[in-house]
Amino acid sequence: MLNFEEELRKFKPSLEIEDAEDIIYNRDLDDMSDVIVKLLKDAKSEADNSKRSR
Amino acid sequence: MATSIYKKLVSLSNVFYNEGLEKASVRDLTGAMESLHQSLKLDKNNINARNLLGLIYYETGEVVAALSEWVISKNLQPDENIADEYMDMVRNSPSKLEDINQTIKKFNIALNYCHQESLDLAVIQLKKVLSLNPGFIKAHLLLALLYLKAGNWDRAKVEAKKVIKLDTGNTLARRYLKEADSMLLPGESGKLVSDIASSGNDEVIRYNSGNEMIIQPLKKSALTRTGSIWGIVLGIALGVAASCFLILPQRIESITAGNKEKIANISEESDAKSAKLSEYEQKMASMDKQIKDLQAQVDSYEGVDSTSASMNSLMKAMDCYEKDSSDIEGIAAALENVDLDVIRDSVSPEFLELYETLMSKVGPSLATSYYNTGYDAYKAKKYDEAIANLSKAYQYDNTNVNTLYYLANSYAENGDIDKAKEKYDAIVTDFPNTKTAAAAQTKLAEINNSGN
Repeated sequence: MLNFEEELRKFKPSLEIEDAEDIIYNRDLDDMSDVIVKLLKDAKSEADNSKRSR
Repeated sequence: MATSIYKKLVSLSNVFYNEGLEKASVRDLTGAMESLHQSLKLDKNNINARNLLGLIYYETGEVVAALSEWVISKNLQPDENIADEYMDMVRNSPSKLEDINQTIKKFNIALNYCHQESLDLAVIQLKKVLSLNPGFIKAHLLLALLYLKAGNWDRAKVEAKKVIKLDTGNTLARRYLKEADSMLLPGESGKLVSDIASSGNDEVIRYNSGNEMIIQPLKKSALTRTGSIWGIVLGIALGVAASCFLILPQRIESITAGNKEKIANISEESDAKSAKLSEYEQKMASMDKQIKDLQAQVDSYEGVDSTSASMNSLMKAMDCYEKDSSDIEGIAAALENVDLDVIRDSVSPEFLELYETLMSKVGPSLATSYYNTGYDAYKAKKYDEAIANLSKAYQYDNTNVNTLYYLANSYAENGDIDKAKEKYDAIVTDFPNTKTAAAAQTKLAEINNSGN
């Protein structure tokens, strides 16, 4: 037997035309390469910091 | 190192894109969306994946999401991007875009009604949404859920099936379908567990088929038995009606054929009779001709008879003369029917000679006798009698001008002007230079002046 309330929570309001601009601007477009670049930057900055502290 | 990782990411992204494309080609839209999301997480610059994702959003009724993907795609690759065409397609039909936006708004209102537990209003709203945009998958799913909630398993099943038709990999729709199926009795399609359970009455089963509720009786009551009797009666009536409709036309046709045959026979008889009639008419015409010929012959024989009668009369007159030459009346009576002017052409010269001989002996006496009688009648204004006697007198003696004059006068007085003129002309011609001729001339002038 389905739980109506639980099922209803799965439904989200559809995006309206008026909201399109906000949606596009606020979209998180990061992909795996961005994540890797960020990771590499973080790793590099950590290495630099450790060198300075020595 | 970094380059090789990037290449691997791009390669992997393309693998997911291919998977998404394959799923989309069999209308597994949910699966395709998942694969394309994966593809874009690996490589946001995979334009094909983004454009295809936009297309799938558009297909499921999520137009704004689709436009978002296409706009981002256009920003990432401004040139030679198919997203341009997709966006143009949407831009070029603003009314359609407006309709889609309205359906989205109505869907959101319906969802709001659901949260407010106004489920009936939500159903109404969703029906409107789907009438405007039948491809809106989320609306179908929500409606199916509402039907499940209301216990309309059959309708929920219909909606879930519609979603599966649009998106074969939609797990939510499959769940709802399974739920609806589980509520139906196995092996008895369309019959509901809830209905059977709720029905304390053994006489009927209620179940929904499409939009209709069907009530089926289980046991035969007295009423249904009566109904069956009525059904038999109705069947008999229908059978009789059908036989009338099927047999009657044939019967009418056979009667019509018989009548046509009779009419043809009558027509033939009529033609034969007409032919006989014309034959009889021809015979009648020929017989008429024969009658006329015979009549002509009879007429010719009449002349013979008249001639022979005249001969008899002449012989009788001769006989009277020989017995008593002074018996003028007897001779006149015998010659009464002899009119020499009529029979002159048909009698023999001997007859004429005999007649002339008799006339030379008794003619003047006869003429005088007839003249006296005729003149007395003329004086007494008995013009018919005068004409008859004076005519005889002139026949026996045509030298007496007075006979002719009084005869002409008698005709004139009797109204026979033509005869009168003829006689007056005869006087003027035969007795010229006489007083009587002058008088006849005067009479003729009077007649002519009077306009005759």
